[in-house]
Amino acid sequence: MTSRALAWRTMTAQPGRAGLAIAGVAVIGALLFDMLLLSHGLLLSYRALLESAGYDVRVVSVDNPIVRMPIPEATAVARAVERLPEVREVAILRRARAAVLAPGRKPADVTLLSVSPRADRLAWRIVAGDDLMVQQHLTDPPPLVINRKLAETLSLSPGSTVRVRLALADASALPAVAFRVAGICENLFDTAADLTASTDADGFERARAGFGDEAEVLLVASRPEFGPTAAVAAIERLRPNLRAYSNEQIVAQINENGFAYFRQISFVLSSITLGFAFLLIATLLTVSVNQQLGQIAALRALGFPRSRIAATLLWESAVLVGVGGVLSIPIGWALASILDRILRDMPGISERVHFFVFEPGAIVVHLGLLAATGVAAAAYPVWIATSLPIAATLRLETIS
Amino acid sequence: MRPAVRVVLIPLCAACFVAIGIAQAPHEILLSRQIMRESHTRVGDIVTLATDPHGGRAMTFRVAGVYEPMPDPKQFTARRFEARLHLPDLIALTADPGDPLSSESVDAFNLTLADPKDAGAVASIIETRAPGLLVESTTSSGQGDPFAVLDRFHWAIAVVTVIGSTAFLLALMVMRVEERREIIGVLRLIGIPPRSILIEVLLESLLIAVAGALFGVLVSLSAQDAVNRFFQWRYDTPLVFVRVTGSIAWKAVAFSVPLGVIAGLAASWALLRRQVVSLIRR
Repeated sequence: MTSRALAWRTMTAQPGRAGLAIAGVAVIGALLFDMLLLSHGLLLSYRALLESAGYDVRVVSVDNPIVRMPIPEATAVARAVERLPEVREVAILRRARAAVLAPGRKPADVTLLSVSPRADRLAWRIVAGDDLMVQQHLTDPPPLVINRKLAETLSLSPGSTVRVRLALADASALPAVAFRVAGICENLFDTAADLTASTDADGFERARAGFGDEAEVLLVASRPEFGPTAAVAAIERLRPNLRAYSNEQIVAQINENGFAYFRQISFVLSSITLGFAFLLIATLLTVSVNQQLGQIAALRALGFPRSRIAATLLWESAVLVGVGGVLSIPIGWALASILDRILRDMPGISERVHFFVFEPGAIVVHLGLLAATGVAAAAYPVWIATSLPIAATLRLETIS
Repeated sequence: MRPAVRVVLIPLCAACFVAIGIAQAPHEILLSRQIMRESHTRVGDIVTLATDPHGGRAMTFRVAGVYEPMPDPKQFTARRFEARLHLPDLIALTADPGDPLSSESVDAFNLTLADPKDAGAVASIIETRAPGLLVESTTSSGQGDPFAVLDRFHWAIAVVTVIGSTAFLLALMVMRVEERREIIGVLRLIGIPPRSILIEVLLESLLIAVAGALFGVLVSLSAQDAVNRFFQWRYDTPLVFVRVTGSIAWKAVAFSVPLGVIAGLAASWALLRRQVVSLIRR
């Protein structure tokens, strides 16, 4: 009989015990799998979100890509940046706080956005009605594309008319301007709680009553032959008072600051999970070996070599960890979706961003770590089984 | 001249750059411990604050002292490069000469309410009377609070860990009970009723579970200091990250003791239901 068959017989002799041990490995393995997904998930998700916007450099006025201060004379700056040989395209993103007034409803505080015509194709997805660019000429009232949350809050639909009043930083009393709801959309960067409305440059100017030419951020697409790093350097040479960041730099800052907690908790929990799995598998195998000392001594007396005894125990460990490890992947994925839902309640997290993102490499690392844990956990019981004194053990077994 | 460092000024928040200078300065300033260390500045040094990185609109100050910024869990990953200066000095440094309103502008007001329960109503009144102001209560509402979200996340992790360890515990108890199969068979043969054996198992499980739970609490109590020291070193903050409170210890004990007892009973029950002959069969 081979070591593998002997291990299989030992385990199937007590299916309840083996089933419980495998269930334990599967649940603990699922937690380990989730922590591996968490270790990079937010960064992968955030990078994908940034790249899906179609721009690889962001220009802001302060040395922090997350904190936003207005860029003065934004149109002139955008034109100058667009003339750089490293730059393919520039879009202007303007943002202001505003109140949307709908008949018979309480005013809703919203974020009013305006992005350059080419960029709006990527910034949101229309789910009802029309996009801003359907009508090429100026319309009166100007069009507004609102997100689902705002449509639900104010019971608006395409064709509704609303009034929008901008709230400037110094609380100037601007008049409310009429807008027509052209469509309802899903915005790329919206959080679950965000109420956002987007309009074209003309609509934004009307709402702002021509109050300055400021933008929150310039979105820049670099030419492929130069790349984002060269574009960043060129923009900072051109405008030393502005700061340009490539998507990689933004992700690196998030990794260093905002994401650091999750990376560390992932590391700590992965380590604890592995330690826990090691202790439990080692305990199970050790107790199992202690129960079979008589049988092992008898096999050794019959001529079974130490290596076969060790191989049998390693196979037992491999079956526990292997079956549990494979089961842990679907369990872990289901658990990840629950944990992701919990964490996405964090304020300021876009609905498109996820904390747990599947990547094939995580499965390889997960199974590798579990395999190493299984081998390490089998070491002590193997030592007990291979070093036991045959005659003394058999005598003890006979008289007990 | 040492390299410039970006700092945040308090009480008004504005980005400024500090550099060590040599001129006499009558104005006094306090610098945070973090920026003092980073810029190798000492109390009594003269520093220059400027509102842009090229040294524009600069003022010199004498460092009167060093302070530890108020620990803030929402800023624990931020480098606390901060300075405190007198309000007239701050206005002189940051006000825009072309904007008469700038010397009257502030970033935030802190209010202490006569009755904290009125926070929602007060916020609503202020937002109605001064459109454009954002009013937020400092009391956590649970909704949208990142720490409430983290609390739920940690609870979920704890529940999964308990499920996994329960499966292992059951497996171990099944093995332990199986080990005693013959002893239980002999006890039953000499006339000890299954109920008495079950009570013995119950008491033994209780003892082991209580000892295990107390050991777990002791391990976490001794580990909390190491965890805090690591994260305080990593983030350069006096914030406390882990605190094993009495309530947490009780919750852990209240979870684990019944779990251990139930696992022991469940494993024994299956054995006690068997025929005596099958228990002593070798």
